Amino acid sequence: MTHTSSSGTVRKGGTAKRNGRGLTGLLLVSAPVALLGWLIIYPIFNAVARTLFTAGDEGLHFSLDTYQRFFTDGYALNNLWLTLWVTAVCAACLMAICLPLALYLRFAKSRVAAVVQGLALFPMFVPSVILAYALIRTIGPNGGVDLVLNAVGLPKINSPYLTPWGPVIGLVWDNIPLTTLMLVAGLGGVSDNAVEAARDAGARRFALLRYIILPQIGNAMLVVLSFTVLGIFSAFTLPYVLGPASPEMMGPFMQRTFSQLSDSRMAVTQAVITFAICACFGAFYVRSIAKNREARR
Amino acid sequence: MTTADLTLAARQEPTVPTRKTKRIDWLGLAITLALGIVVVVPLVVVAIWAFAEVWRYPSILPQEFGLRFWEATLSRPDVWQAMSLSIRLSLTVTLLSAVICLPAAYAFARLDFPGRNLLFLSFLASHAFPKFGLLVAIASIFLNLGLVSTFWGVVLIQLVGTLMMMIWIPVAAFQNVDRAMEEAARDAGAGPLRVFWSVSLPQAAPTIGAAVLLSFVGTFYETEGAWLIGAPEIRTMPVLMITFINNQIVVQYGAVLSVLLWVPSFFALMFSRRLVGSSSFAKGFGV
Amino acid sequence: MAQLSLKNIGKSFDGTDVIRDVSLDVADGELVCLLGPSGSGKSTILRMVGGFETPDRGSILIDGQDVTLILPEKRPTGMVFQSHALWSHMSVADNVAFGLKLRRMPRREIQAKVADALGLVGLKDYGTRRVWQLSGGQQQRVAIARALVLEPKILLLDEPFASLDQHLREHLREELRDIQRRLGITTLFVTHGQDEALALADRIVVLQQGDLEQVASPDRMYRAPETRFVAGFIGSMNFLACDMRHGRADHPLFPVEAPVADGPVELAIRPEALTVAPARAPQAKVHRTTDYGSHLLVDIDLADGTRVKAMCPPSARFAAGDGVTLTADRVTLFRGQKKLAEVSPRPARELSHA
Repeated sequence: MTHTSSSGTVRKGGTAKRNGRGLTGLLLVSAPVALLGWLIIYPIFNAVARTLFTAGDEGLHFSLDTYQRFFTDGYALNNLWLTLWVTAVCAACLMAICLPLALYLRFAKSRVAAVVQGLALFPMFVPSVILAYALIRTIGPNGGVDLVLNAVGLPKINSPYLTPWGPVIGLVWDNIPLTTLMLVAGLGGVSDNAVEAARDAGARRFALLRYIILPQIGNAMLVVLSFTVLGIFSAFTLPYVLGPASPEMMGPFMQRTFSQLSDSRMAVTQAVITFAICACFGAFYVRSIAKNREARR
Repeated sequence: MTTADLTLAARQEPTVPTRKTKRIDWLGLAITLALGIVVVVPLVVVAIWAFAEVWRYPSILPQEFGLRFWEATLSRPDVWQAMSLSIRLSLTVTLLSAVICLPAAYAFARLDFPGRNLLFLSFLASHAFPKFGLLVAIASIFLNLGLVSTFWGVVLIQLVGTLMMMIWIPVAAFQNVDRAMEEAARDAGAGPLRVFWSVSLPQAAPTIGAAVLLSFVGTFYETEGAWLIGAPEIRTMPVLMITFINNQIVVQYGAVLSVLLWVPSFFALMFSRRLVGSSSFAKGFGV
Repeated sequence: MAQLSLKNIGKSFDGTDVIRDVSLDVADGELVCLLGPSGSGKSTILRMVGGFETPDRGSILIDGQDVTLILPEKRPTGMVFQSHALWSHMSVADNVAFGLKLRRMPRREIQAKVADALGLVGLKDYGTRRVWQLSGGQQQRVAIARALVLEPKILLLDEPFASLDQHLREHLREELRDIQRRLGITTLFVTHGQDEALALADRIVVLQQGDLEQVASPDRMYRAPETRFVAGFIGSMNFLACDMRHGRADHPLFPVEAPVADGPVELAIRPEALTVAPARAPQAKVHRTTDYGSHLLVDIDLADGTRVKAMCPPSARFAAGDGVTLTADRVTLFRGQKKLAEVSPRPARELSHA
């Protein structure tokens, strides 16, 4: 473990006392840090190591066999494509829905805004299982929407249930609160005065957005995008319940490989592949957290 | 040099006939309507199903309402087992998480020790991995340790899920406590532990309480880890729901369970909305 | 009854000296103001006395007993913070009673002491209120009561009135002065407002960049500043640069004589020490006048372009552009930071403002 000395105060004299406090601090954080090390950092390295090295006759040797199997298996590749497609569509939809919502929440001053905020936060408190069930009952075959359409004499909808659109709808629904919240927080960095000054200079709504607001929240939007992608790419419950059985998204695919096929090495390989694909988003995410913390100090 | 005190005589505003300038927020109302339909309707449909005894297509409302399926659902032993298991699990996880994380959060917020920033950053960075992939990696380790399909295996995996939130929200809460308040207590004769109990903790309590509540509800609804590690022995409430949905036994079972399960989240909504709505909550995710 | 001594205190943060070498004795019952610009180290000294910082060098003695390494909770000091730092989860009475409860005092006695302390600051019936129900001034009074109820040997106040508005500030400092007198408690008061220091203190300590500039009574501090910094920091002061030649300043307006070695000097003259008179052969021109009601402040441009301020009686009538002559009652000569001499160029006239 690396110990970087924090930017705190290092004082001459009283060193013994300071060391004592340092030890207390380390002791207090040791339990969660140990858990973090054991249950997050170790499994990641273990996963990479396990899939790259196999135990042969003469000890460990380097092997890419599971990766080869994954990338030559048409079914696995289809799953990967489906996952990428769903992630991209979800991210696009979320941005399209949440950015206007966040803009409204940031700048609206009416009492309606509180209601909108409540509604936008609401899905955060609906567990995905219940959401999945509710969506089946609503937009599934002969669901609530069909009932209403039928009652007014229109044809039934083409139900998205068990198609790739099922998880898309579910995931977008589920991710609206956090995405909106994060965007609103990002918009907090745009001061009212900056906007008022621009309006004073004659900027209309579109110009405000294009020249004043968007440039200032560009970074926040990228963070939100990374966060969303990381969440959706390896989603499990909603794709499992709402999505198609074949091809399936990476989440259910990994689960099936692990539990039903009992091929834990292959399942871990799939996990490592999702890590690799998400790595750039993850790296960007970590970098901007670190930068933000630096700036706030 | 003293500055002169300028007293501005209060000017009498000339009386102008006032016109109502308050405009109706049409945009807001439109958004409310759209969100309302998208967010509320699916849940309303489920609620209707829970009280429907007969609902055949294409009637727009059930033919018969009643509580028959409530009795049927609640008399199933697997529902009660899952319920008690879920509550025990969530309590255990939340309690453990609080015991482990709150002192750590205090240390991160107030004490100075080597590696503080790096360690704290690594907690925040644990979001940077796709969660289910991580769960699979953990599960493969648990497989070798014999923790799969055990109570404590599920506890551990759900504990990981709560770590993040139970660290950074309390850290923010402790950092928001005015340092002078703590120093004033020292000055009045309180030792460091007493200061923590009598000042820091009560001051941070509302926010920490909300974080604990969110952890509890989050753990109660946690599906993925419970499903992956717990199956087939440990069946929590959400896992049971999934089986009901998959096996399509009786539609109403799922509906009744949904309505039941929604009760705790309603409380979470009530008590933690201020925390969740605050910008510091979203900032914890890295914006 | 307590006496406080700081002996050669030094403190540095991150390698820079915040306090260089400070020694100070505060007598029993004395109220000493630490005054200085931000970053001068005044708060650090106070916090070291309170025990919240440990000096790197030197020692702190209360009644002759070394308390340098004693933790704040064990020190006989009571502190009032700038942000009042009241515990918002407790009632007013609980705030005041907290320290007494820690001392395991009987309930009855606590109640009596809390009532006394609240009465002392004029908040007798406010015990059951919540902290946020009080106004800013009331909150700061509670903070004072909370510090006093423990009967500390030394009362420490860290810019306690800085966040209050002007009127309230003046009112509260008078109250504080009365309380301090009545209790005879040794007090250390940090402020960056010179008027506060001049109004409150028995003695003022002016600090700059971690060094003591001057320790003196308010009137000495104002009338006889020992360094150029103090001269400029307390009140307003005109500084005029010139050279000394053979014991005489070569300034055209103020050719003061003083037994000073040749070389550059600065003449320091208070605005009220300047007398302005209309003149036919003007040495200077009025730039602007500002009427403060009690007096008139006249900005005057000298021939060499420097601008000086002069205080005149309110009856004086000057208009911008008027030619005037200036005479000074009292001039202090500085070279660098050092005071060289104090001279009265002519027999001091009795002035109305004296």
